[in-house]
Amino acid sequence: MEIIFVLISISLCVAMLFLLAFVWAVRSHQYDDTYTPAVRVLFDDQEENAQPRGQR
Amino acid sequence: MACAHCGDACPDQPIRLSARPELPFCCQGCKAVYELLDQSNLCTYYRLDDKPGQKIPEVELPGRFDYLNSESVQSQLLAFRSEALNQLTFSIPQMHCASCIWLLENLFKLNPGITSSRVNFLRKELTVSYNPAATTLTEVAKLLASVGYEPQITLAELGAQPHRANRTLYYQLGLAAFAFGNVMLMAFPDYFSFTEQLQASFGQFFGWLSLGLSLPVLLVSARGFYRSAWQGLRHRYINLDFPISLGLTALFLTSLYDIATQHGPGYLDSFTGLVFFMLIGKWVQQRTYDALRFDRDFTSYFPVAVTRLTAGGREESVAVRELRAGQRIRVRHQEIIPADAVLLRGQGQIDYSFVTGESVPVARTSGEVVYAGGRQTGEALELEVVREVSQGYLTQLWNNPAFQKEEKATLETYANKVGRYFVAVTLVLALGAVAYWQWQGRPDMALRAFTSVLVIACPCALSLATPFALGAALRALGRCKLFLKNSGVVETLGRADTIVFDKTGTLTDVKRSAVEYAGPTLTLAQQQAIAAVIQHSTHPLSQRLAAELPASHLPVQEFREVAGQGLCGTVAGEEVRVGSAAFVGVGNPAPEAGTPATAESAATTDGLQSRVYVSVEGVQGCYLLRNVYREELRSILAELSRHYHLAVLSGDNDTEQDRLRELFGPQAELHFRQSPQQKLDYVAHLRQQGRTVIMVGDGLNDAGALQQADAGVALTDTLTNFSPACDAILDARSFGQLSTFLRFSQDCLQVVLGTFVLSFCYNGIGLGLAVQGKFTPIVSAILMPISSLSVMVFATLLVHYAAHRRQL
Repeated sequence: MEIIFVLISISLCVAMLFLLAFVWAVRSHQYDDTYTPAVRVLFDDQEENAQPRGQR
Repeated sequence: MACAHCGDACPDQPIRLSARPELPFCCQGCKAVYELLDQSNLCTYYRLDDKPGQKIPEVELPGRFDYLNSESVQSQLLAFRSEALNQLTFSIPQMHCASCIWLLENLFKLNPGITSSRVNFLRKELTVSYNPAATTLTEVAKLLASVGYEPQITLAELGAQPHRANRTLYYQLGLAAFAFGNVMLMAFPDYFSFTEQLQASFGQFFGWLSLGLSLPVLLVSARGFYRSAWQGLRHRYINLDFPISLGLTALFLTSLYDIATQHGPGYLDSFTGLVFFMLIGKWVQQRTYDALRFDRDFTSYFPVAVTRLTAGGREESVAVRELRAGQRIRVRHQEIIPADAVLLRGQGQIDYSFVTGESVPVARTSGEVVYAGGRQTGEALELEVVREVSQGYLTQLWNNPAFQKEEKATLETYANKVGRYFVAVTLVLALGAVAYWQWQGRPDMALRAFTSVLVIACPCALSLATPFALGAALRALGRCKLFLKNSGVVETLGRADTIVFDKTGTLTDVKRSAVEYAGPTLTLAQQQAIAAVIQHSTHPLSQRLAAELPASHLPVQEFREVAGQGLCGTVAGEEVRVGSAAFVGVGNPAPEAGTPATAESAATTDGLQSRVYVSVEGVQGCYLLRNVYREELRSILAELSRHYHLAVLSGDNDTEQDRLRELFGPQAELHFRQSPQQKLDYVAHLRQQGRTVIMVGDGLNDAGALQQADAGVALTDTLTNFSPACDAILDARSFGQLSTFLRFSQDCLQVVLGTFVLSFCYNGIGLGLAVQGKFTPIVSAILMPISSLSVMVFATLLVHYAAHRRQL
């Protein structure tokens, strides 16, 4: 049953990784504004497509 | 036909673009914005959302943003400064849809000096970075104003630190969730009998591991509760966080003792779970407030900078705060007078609607004193400041001790009141249990019972009831355009027994004033000629009249506005005069030779009614503008007078007394000729009688009364332009629902009380087990999360149901 010690330490490490990922997300402003990015992602670049390709 | 830009109704002959004749526009301003966006290939703006634009005021105010060049203003506004990049955050309350976000984030296409702009829609903020070498702050502000998103820059915001999103709560929440999940896994062997073997061999290991995971929760996640409890204690005040802290401490220490002495696994799963649930409550509360943030004060009204005249007569822009008594300033058309001052030069036409609610400008000549808060309409004035901004009349009113109520109002909420008794009852029960078990000769049970009582008495469900119930209530009311400052206001609205109304602008609908015409009938062409002239004036009477007359875009020559007298101009070769009787020359039987078409107008104010005289092509007539009461007023009052004590405070004379008496019924108190101070005193007097007062007013002249009342409700036609220090802002269009709002608030209080009862039931069961010493970790692990979760669900669902029943 000593395998439990190993299993638990592994699972804790994985969980810790997720916690760190969450902290990173908060630090990189991802929770500052939870509305605008959802709208922003729907804008497409129609205007630029309308221009001749050579200019891009 | 709806304007292609702003969606407002267009005049009969809408303005059209030569390039795109199918698009109608309601005014030149809207057309100009369309052209600007079209040139920069930004017409996606119109595709993302239907008619997203803001109506652009026709009056251009030159030099309006010049103060932004001032070094002292810039140093306060800019969050980041360097040679190549400046950054700042504007508050833009107008943004309302996806198109707004898109346009505001594409500003760089309109002004290449702007490197980037980013919107935070929930906070209505725009963060702009620009290259100071290529453009200026003034240019950026002008650009925003020209596309209809004029940034709101106020004294209050200048002093404030740039807003920093509160990330601490996210860290605390994440940590608590992480610990909760893992500690629960470790506690599993303890829950089931078939894992006894596991518990025997690993119990110790699991215990210490849980302890290690819970320690950061205690130190980081739960810190807010301890801090708040400590702050309450320092003010000799016991708030709800005190019993919570007590319970959490007991929970943690008991677990520590159990684990250290190998008595059992402890209650750490309950501990982390509780912290997690309570933080969710806090998060819900914070999100609700973020969306409804309007906590501003009177300084929001004052201009940020003024034009000061130097000894040499040169103009310079200085911050209002630097203005000293004795200095000379220049106030132009449509600018607000920043401080009490003596008029030196110019004809003052000062609109004090902001202070007194009366929209007809008051004439002032040189030598007279003008008070801060008035808005000059007409020519530029030269003033000598007699009192600095901080000592002015308005400021004194605002500094009245009545304005410091806020602290008390938010603390005296139900939950905190209950919290105080909670502590007393808990301690008595805990000590009683100790005494009983000691008497029974079981000291170990005494300790167990004591800590269990403290643990179970932790009023976590109570702390969750209020944010969830009232948060849902705030959102429901917000959807109906009643915005509350905080959840405490719902409680106050629900408890109120007296409603005091201000008259002008609150009971009467300034926008809907009835226009009557007396005199010889005017032809359509004549009406259009008058309309063409008055369109050039910003006087409120002109604007009201312009809305009534047929739209016209005839060119006007020789337009002249004589302050306090009237307007005149030549339309299609005919002179048109609009204004006062004397200016128009009413009573003068024959128009002067050589001026065949003379329209004179005189604005005379008589109680609620104003007269505007006109003369065009020799025909003289008079428009009568009468303020009318709001449509819904009668039904609202009939409903309210059954349950509430009503009163009216009016700054006007008592000509309307009979009409009001009939509307309000015999019991209502009507008071006329009330100064702002008197209004404040009256409300204070009512409160001394033990009444809970709601004051419904419209602006600064009753601001003192609004603030003095238990709940001050500001009624406004334009939500974005209005920011008094009241407790609630009500859109004038929703005025008819006022009594529904009040009854809904009462429902919400019942819901809160209901959730209290529910959580007391859980606590009762828990306490029963606790005093008997039967409160085991497994009972705790079941009871605690169930009580928290069910209170959250119960509160939210019931408030939604109440809103649905009231049809909000």
